Amino acid sequence: MDDLNLLGPQLALLIGAGLIIIVDLLLPIVSRQAYQGRLPLLSGLALLAAAGSLGWSLALVLTDERGEAFDGMISVDDFTLFFNFLFAAVAGAIVLGSVDYLARHRFQGEYLALILIAAAGMSLMAAGTDLIMIFIALELQAIALFALVGISKNESGSEATLKFLLLSAISTAITLYGMAYLFGLSGETSLDGIASYVANTDENRSALVLAAVFLTAGLGFKMAVVPFQMWVPDVYEGAPTPITAFLSVASKAAGFAVVMRIFLAALGEGLITTDWAYLFAAIAAVSMTLGNVLALVQGNIKRMLGYSSIAQAGTILIGLAAVAAEDPQLLLGTSSVVFFLGAYAFTNIGAFIAIIAISHKIGSDQIADYAGVAKRSPLLAFALAACLFSLTGFPPTAGFIAKIYVFNAAVQADLVWLAIIGVLNSVISAYYYLRVVLNMFARDPETDEAFTPSPYLGAALAAAVVGLFAIGIYPTPLIEASESAARVFS
Amino acid sequence: MDSVDLEHFLVIGAILFGIGLYMSLAKRNFVGVLIGIELMFNGVNLTFISFSRFVESAEPLNGHIFVIFVITVAAAEAAVALALAVLLYRLRDTINVDQIDLLKW
Amino acid sequence: MTSEVFNVYIAVLIATIFGFVLVGSALIGNLILSPRQKSPHKGVTYECGMLPIGRSRAQVHFRYYLFAILFLIFDIEAVFLFPWAVSFVELGEQAFYEMLVFIGILAFGLLYAWKKGVLNWR
Repeated sequence: MDDLNLLGPQLALLIGAGLIIIVDLLLPIVSRQAYQGRLPLLSGLALLAAAGSLGWSLALVLTDERGEAFDGMISVDDFTLFFNFLFAAVAGAIVLGSVDYLARHRFQGEYLALILIAAAGMSLMAAGTDLIMIFIALELQAIALFALVGISKNESGSEATLKFLLLSAISTAITLYGMAYLFGLSGETSLDGIASYVANTDENRSALVLAAVFLTAGLGFKMAVVPFQMWVPDVYEGAPTPITAFLSVASKAAGFAVVMRIFLAALGEGLITTDWAYLFAAIAAVSMTLGNVLALVQGNIKRMLGYSSIAQAGTILIGLAAVAAEDPQLLLGTSSVVFFLGAYAFTNIGAFIAIIAISHKIGSDQIADYAGVAKRSPLLAFALAACLFSLTGFPPTAGFIAKIYVFNAAVQADLVWLAIIGVLNSVISAYYYLRVVLNMFARDPETDEAFTPSPYLGAALAAAVVGLFAIGIYPTPLIEASESAARVFS
Repeated sequence: MDSVDLEHFLVIGAILFGIGLYMSLAKRNFVGVLIGIELMFNGVNLTFISFSRFVESAEPLNGHIFVIFVITVAAAEAAVALALAVLLYRLRDTINVDQIDLLKW
Repeated sequence: MTSEVFNVYIAVLIATIFGFVLVGSALIGNLILSPRQKSPHKGVTYECGMLPIGRSRAQVHFRYYLFAILFLIFDIEAVFLFPWAVSFVELGEQAFYEMLVFIGILAFGLLYAWKKGVLNWR
């Protein structure tokens, strides 16, 4: 029972998903009419599940309940709890952001249930302390996301699914190969067992490096960093926009969570650390540069945010590269990554929900068609502008603090060159982010017809924008949370 | 039975994995790509099983358990992938990966 | 080293040779014993019946695919059932209920597909 209590946040999501499927299945039997109007009921259930998950996580924090569950398969610590909050909150926001989309759509129950299942999988990814558990959680969210990307069953959606599914499956196989060698070298699948092998041996270093490279290649797909980013723009463009938001925030954060678990908990000691730190530093530099340069030339705003998310992932990786080189007492590298993921969640969710609201009204994802949105809907334009400023890294937004945090970690770890590349890239990124803002504010619209977002979108957007300013102005609570999450690995 | 060593199995696993990777990147037919991915998984499975047979370990069965889950997950993935293949064939009349290029690759 | 490998696999080698000999002798025996007649009608699909209509390639209806997917549920269930059955006595009562839950979830999956009309042949 103790095990189930610790796993409560994930179970709440899964039970919610099961309930939604059952209700969706049985409702037509009860009444045809009720089935037609099922959307408020189903999305209410989904929100309730997300809220239940958040509440349970909060209860675990308040009662100071920590520990391992299921024979060390899962560890509930501050790191896990941080990501529990993150994924449950993001799932809730995505449900709110999907209501308008779902109203025109057939598979409402499946869609909402799959979002909750994917969120549960992601939060298990952060919690898993055994390779078997991590693998299953990884696939749980991946398979749910395949179905979500292609749920509209139209041509571009199914093509996006094809690319996502094939590349994801290949990356999974590569990850598994890396895991097989970790298991073969250490004889253990638990991260603790692997860690004690890695810390106490000088043998087989090349095999270990090989395993680390395979793991990086496989998990790099989840984080969407160069050179494993090919799927990003196409899938972001082809998927329903709320799912794009989910992918860009939650799936990416889950990828980073797993990378931190494996590389910090299992490969965090011994000579191997310098090997993967340089690997991450190189990937970070290339990701930032390539992502930003390609984002410059995009005309579709979802594609642009896709490339920008590659660049952001590169920026986050700076923090991971800094971990190995820094003074272990500082904890700057790890906590900066955790902080960045939190701040990035607010920012990107806000940006995507604003895009859903605007694109729904103007009927286009092209940046050129965003001309004059500020005159038609000043509040929406302001919200999107705030999110884009945060992505660029202007004060007083969350993105500013996050970037300073990460660059500081790099400088403390003697990776000044990486920090300089990061700053230069922020300057490049300002160009394409501000182009959208300029388009919205400085140009005239074709019609003057005013519009407002639906209350669901408005609520989610308001929460995101308030959050990103709150973190930007008073970041201390989130910094403390990130530090206590990072302390798990010290 | 000692004469067939761990290395033999690892080499075969690596060859299977390599053939699968090549197939999944080079094949143009969607189902061919899926078969390549299955081969990669089987290469991984063989590696796991042979490690858990030969390596001294506190929990030697973990390799076997891992393989069972890999098989399950691969089946689930194949189910979704084949559903997608049917959908694509209905929409586009082809499952040739090259010809599915509405979005820029 | 190499010779040891062969020692281990000597049985496999014998079985392989035996297999080849068996199949080969059957084929050669057929070649020697069977009567042969050369005529263009030998190449027709049904030599002594009506002329075939349409193509000889029979395409399976894709609806079978859905049944194949449903079969997958129970196919994979077996993968877990065998290790469970082997260690059932050691694990005791709890394992029994855990497996009931597992099978229950799978059965629900089938029920879901049924209710969604997958089993209807339209």
